Amino acid sequence: MSDFTSSLKPRYDGPATLAAERNGSSINIPELSKHLLSRDGFLSRQEKVLQVLKRDRLFSKDQQLNLSRPDRYHLGLARAKAIQRIVRREGWDHEDYKMAEYLVDEMSPFHLHMSMFVTTVREQGSEEQKAYWMPQILNYDIIGCYAQSELGHGSNVRGLETTATWDPVKKEFEIHSPHLTASKWWNGTMGRTATHAIVVAQLLLPHPSNPSNLISHGPQPFILRIRDQRTHLPLPGIAVGDIGPKYGYASMDNGYMLFDHLRVPRSAMLSRYAEVSAETGALSRRGHPAVVYGSLTFVRGQIVMHARLVLARAVTVAVRYCAIRRQFHDRDDVKGERGEMQVLDYPTVQIRILPLLATTFALHYTGEMMYDLYHGTRETVEKGDFGPLAELHSASSGLKSLCTTIAADGIETCRRAMGGHGFGGGSGLVGINADYLSKPTVEGDNWMITQQVAASLIKKMTSCVQNPHAEPKDPTDAIFLYYLKNKDTHIPQSPIHPPNNGKADFEFTDKAIVDIFQWRAAALSHDAYTARIIEKKPWTSLMIQLHALSRAYSEQILITTFYNALTTTPTTPTSLRPTPNLSHPTTNILTTCFHLHALHTLSLSPPTFLLTNSIPLSLLAHLPNAILHLMTALRPHAVALVDAWAIPEYVLDSALGRGDGRVYEELFDMAHRRNPLNRVTFNVDWRSEEIVRGSGDAGRGVLGKL
Amino acid sequence: MAPTPDWVKQLTPSGPQGSELLATERAKSDITVERLSQLLYTQEVLDRKKKIINVLKSEKVFDKSQNYFSGRIDRFETALARAKKLRNLRVKHEWNLDEYRTASEAISEPGPYGLHDSMFLITIAEQGTPEQHAQFLVKAEEYKFIGCYAQTELGHGSNVRGLETTATWNLEDKTFIIHSPYLTASKWWIGSLGKTANYAVVMAQLFIAGKSYGPHPFVVQIRDLKTHEPLENVHVGDIGPKFGYNTMDNGFLLFNKVKVPHISMLARFSRVDLDTNQYVREGSPSLVYGTLTWVRSTIVMQAGSVLARGVTIATRYCAVRRQFQDRDAPASEPGENQVLNYTMVQIRLLPLLAATFALHFTGKSMMNLYSENQKKMNAGEAKDNGRGAGPEEIQSGSDILADLHATSCGLKAYSSTIAAEGLEVCRRACGGHGYSSFSGIGPWYADYLPTTTWEGDNYMLTQQVARYLLKSARSVLSSSAPSNDTTSILSTFLSRSEIGCAFDVLGSDSDLVDAFAWRTAFLTFEALKHRDEQKKAWNDLLVDFYRLSKAHSQYMVVRNFYEALQSGETRAQIDDSTLDVLTKLFRLFALNTLEQEGSEFYASGAVTVKQISLARTNTVMKLLEEIRPHAVRLVDSWAFDDWVLDSSLGRQDGKVYEDMFYRASELNPLNSITVDPYPDSEVLFKKDDRRRSKL
Repeated sequence: MSDFTSSLKPRYDGPATLAAERNGSSINIPELSKHLLSRDGFLSRQEKVLQVLKRDRLFSKDQQLNLSRPDRYHLGLARAKAIQRIVRREGWDHEDYKMAEYLVDEMSPFHLHMSMFVTTVREQGSEEQKAYWMPQILNYDIIGCYAQSELGHGSNVRGLETTATWDPVKKEFEIHSPHLTASKWWNGTMGRTATHAIVVAQLLLPHPSNPSNLISHGPQPFILRIRDQRTHLPLPGIAVGDIGPKYGYASMDNGYMLFDHLRVPRSAMLSRYAEVSAETGALSRRGHPAVVYGSLTFVRGQIVMHARLVLARAVTVAVRYCAIRRQFHDRDDVKGERGEMQVLDYPTVQIRILPLLATTFALHYTGEMMYDLYHGTRETVEKGDFGPLAELHSASSGLKSLCTTIAADGIETCRRAMGGHGFGGGSGLVGINADYLSKPTVEGDNWMITQQVAASLIKKMTSCVQNPHAEPKDPTDAIFLYYLKNKDTHIPQSPIHPPNNGKADFEFTDKAIVDIFQWRAAALSHDAYTARIIEKKPWTSLMIQLHALSRAYSEQILITTFYNALTTTPTTPTSLRPTPNLSHPTTNILTTCFHLHALHTLSLSPPTFLLTNSIPLSLLAHLPNAILHLMTALRPHAVALVDAWAIPEYVLDSALGRGDGRVYEELFDMAHRRNPLNRVTFNVDWRSEEIVRGSGDAGRGVLGKL
Repeated sequence: MAPTPDWVKQLTPSGPQGSELLATERAKSDITVERLSQLLYTQEVLDRKKKIINVLKSEKVFDKSQNYFSGRIDRFETALARAKKLRNLRVKHEWNLDEYRTASEAISEPGPYGLHDSMFLITIAEQGTPEQHAQFLVKAEEYKFIGCYAQTELGHGSNVRGLETTATWNLEDKTFIIHSPYLTASKWWIGSLGKTANYAVVMAQLFIAGKSYGPHPFVVQIRDLKTHEPLENVHVGDIGPKFGYNTMDNGFLLFNKVKVPHISMLARFSRVDLDTNQYVREGSPSLVYGTLTWVRSTIVMQAGSVLARGVTIATRYCAVRRQFQDRDAPASEPGENQVLNYTMVQIRLLPLLAATFALHFTGKSMMNLYSENQKKMNAGEAKDNGRGAGPEEIQSGSDILADLHATSCGLKAYSSTIAAEGLEVCRRACGGHGYSSFSGIGPWYADYLPTTTWEGDNYMLTQQVARYLLKSARSVLSSSAPSNDTTSILSTFLSRSEIGCAFDVLGSDSDLVDAFAWRTAFLTFEALKHRDEQKKAWNDLLVDFYRLSKAHSQYMVVRNFYEALQSGETRAQIDDSTLDVLTKLFRLFALNTLEQEGSEFYASGAVTVKQISLARTNTVMKLLEEIRPHAVRLVDSWAFDDWVLDSSLGRQDGKVYEDMFYRASELNPLNSITVDPYPDSEVLFKKDDRRRSKL
């Protein structure tokens, strides 16, 4: 479509602007990319998989936002199937497959099959069950899902209503949904796709001496077929379907499922850790299901690593667009000589985006630390000895909560920092925003799971109070014992040293930054311990305080880990050591990121620091200027830093965030040439019932769709 | 798909039913819902709503059941059908503007006639001459001309002076040439432009004989009235899918040297003289300024009810939803706890519930102030025998208007941010089900979000407030007598700067309001010091200004809420126990805000650390406990019809799970499809029993 618009150019040159930004920074971008993204060959894998996907039109993201819900699922299924064919054709391994899912960036209708379904069979199936199921699963002869949460119950597994009752006569189970709220709900892949499901149900066994009295043995996993192999219709006694549209996840068929006294064989119950005896009908438990915690910690590590990429992506779009977008003259530039300002030069824009940019690195080092700990302790964990993983496990729920909240809110902050265009499909943040928003409530609601961290911190503090002179068992112990020893004599230190005679600029004491976050975490733990253990306050009334505690404790982990990464010590794992790997200016800029992340976090809730005596009041007077100073220092490197995250254009899928700066050309092209609404001419006269011009259907078309 | 089996139809939710739980909730509180509703809306408005919703419900085209499923083009097509039907109903039932707006609100989606109905008509009416009214307004009111308001561009939003579209006066044939010199000059985001409008008010830089006179409005035809195709050298279309607002055809528009006649330039306030080719300014557009103030005041008041929808849904659902046993519950009470009993749910929802009332009363008082002032100004103008008011008169006569204008900028930013963010908090407080479209919150949030950037970006606007506050502070320092509330609080602060203050924020409501005033005054003088004494760059102060504006807005909201509760008018309308609960909501809103902004209050000397600490651990917790039993009745008083909410979770009767299940299983078109899931087969949909095929 060529017309007079084809020759038009934007007023300001986007590519030149970005080139100037890149020239203005001394960061070695490829080197930093390698430092951030080398684990498991991430960068080269990203490139390899991307090349294959780009060749296939099915993976074009152009029209996604225009599609209705059923069409999005249709497309999602087509892609899921195509990826399986590509996996076989190209000989991809599981990591390649996961990379493809990341790049395609939508929830695949097969997603649960290769995550929770296969993991549960692998971890909770007996050897015999694994031998039977695993080949069918890996071959996709069956497609599975994981049916745990219900219409009436999410986080509380013990409250599940679906029952599995042992029939001692027929030696089989009866799966049943006694209430409407027992309906399985939200379970991915289940709505339309799956042939099989792992169903978590309350195991009911007849009392040995009084068989009519059923005893509950808690939730257990059962594997069963839910749709006919040939017709793909639900089996008799099962009502299953898709739950309808959601905020995001349009391509995924989250489902509901109800059972009407469905009979399944004894072998349906996954029996690595618990089995019902065919002879006696008694339940025998064996082994240590706690080993599952190891993989839960690993999953949460993955969530943190993913959160950093998601946040990096939003920040990439916002930084690039705000560098290119110009708006208003500087008020102090009276003559208007300098042209309109780059929006990224406004402190009101910087304060929203740059702390998030700094936070991407904070999340990175914590994710790396979790991976290292998990891999480093795997062997001992298999034997039931958790070692350092025990501490990490309890911390991981707090970290999951904090990091996904930061990322979800961060996407939205970045979107709004881009003004009106942030609301448009061309921002590239519409889909990710909607999809990622599920994270704060899935796999443990962000508010609920913080209770786990708080409970374990209270327990730890209790034991520290009882043995104040014991040797610290782990870093948290050390922080707590230090606190108990010094709490009556503690004098808060300020890590900020403002410019004064002799010093031209702000200076910061890194160790003092770590200290104040650790002190606050310990003090809040002690407050919670006092309220719960000493004063015996009701748990419910403490929840807000406990949530704040979890957040403060998790923030402390981010700060400490970031600090450790910048300060090489003999115990720092290689992957966490930027200093020897990175050339000079980059390390300094990462240190600026550390300062900005820390001080910005502090500025979000000064009272918790003040009330715990962690910081002196005088610090608050310098805080705004110190943050402004750090943002000014970081500003010239913003574009280079987001470049280092190496998010492919295919993933960004954003006109505003384009690496080449051709923002306005792309926005216009999307609207003008690629927008299907512009292929339809409408009849807008209210007197006429016709809606699409020339259709002559007198409005029947619309009514037919309702 | 096979019909729902009988055994499924017979199932009910476990435990106490939603309807029982909500009935218990309502029995726990003695608030008279009807009277509180009347206080919020008046009986007349409540009756009007009921009448109009009944009309809408009886028309098939307004059936909402497929809204959440459809694609972009279907959404737009349906929205157009609805807009047309609504216009027909308006004619048929002789609805006035208020009734028409009530209907639009109940439909709760932006419609393709939206900008025609508002900005297009208003701009021509306010900025056109009588001759232009005859030429354009008559046909526009008949919907023969369907218009939009084309101001923002691809490259420029808030900064009107930076617009790139030009209108060049042609001396020879006395016409204007409208032109887009750059790609970034393309009009962009313009509602109703993409597919619907045949006319546009276009804001363009006026050039006469090579000299620029800044942006001016032009009425330009863009599509043929018969074929509805774009006119020659006009390039127009829809900008594509967005975060929300997908029922609206936001459009782009480019001109390739399009010639328009002299009458196109709206000439009430400035015109090009036909004989002399000179630019002539006629009077001041300060009344237009007033319109903007009015628009922002409505945004503040709407923010209350926008947020109230989310709070209604979340509160009702959290009263029905039960999850986990109380850790401290005795073994004799084995049931699960209502989620609304969790303090960490209360701390998220109840301050927002308080905010709905706070914003409502603030918006209402601003609109009252505006109308009173408008009356005064009009009276003054009449005395003037038609002579336009000179600048000094506008200065002196409109000190309150100036205050109101600055206040409206800050409050627009603050209230729309609270509402937008509050909706997301409500959605997350619903746990997993909040993510379903059937929660009704997500789509509503998505459609509301642009409010935070339009009518002045929320961050940009705060500069105007700061500028105004600095100016007021300078006038106070030069010993001018206070002439409005802002200068009063600044004077008070100044007069006590050597004495200090001691506010009993936990014991006295009026002290609590004063503490907010004190902190605002403190921050104003701090900012003034930075700007005037330390000569800091304006740009470096933007973050300070943002905080200052927020502090000022928080003060305004707290004060207005407090005054509304003190007023005899309010007290006459509600009983004592309702007033008591509203007063607690006031305290919760104020103290929760104070606690969150604790360091600023502390730094200003308005409160001590001990007070902040007590507020947090003690007073706020107690208020949550006291307000908790009234939560459901309080949201009931917002009186949202279920049809308007369109939410499973927020149903008035508590049948949350039944409705979720019904929508999933009966209304969901995806369940009419049977798929082939195996990767080795190219077949995707084995069977498709949907009534219709996609476009």
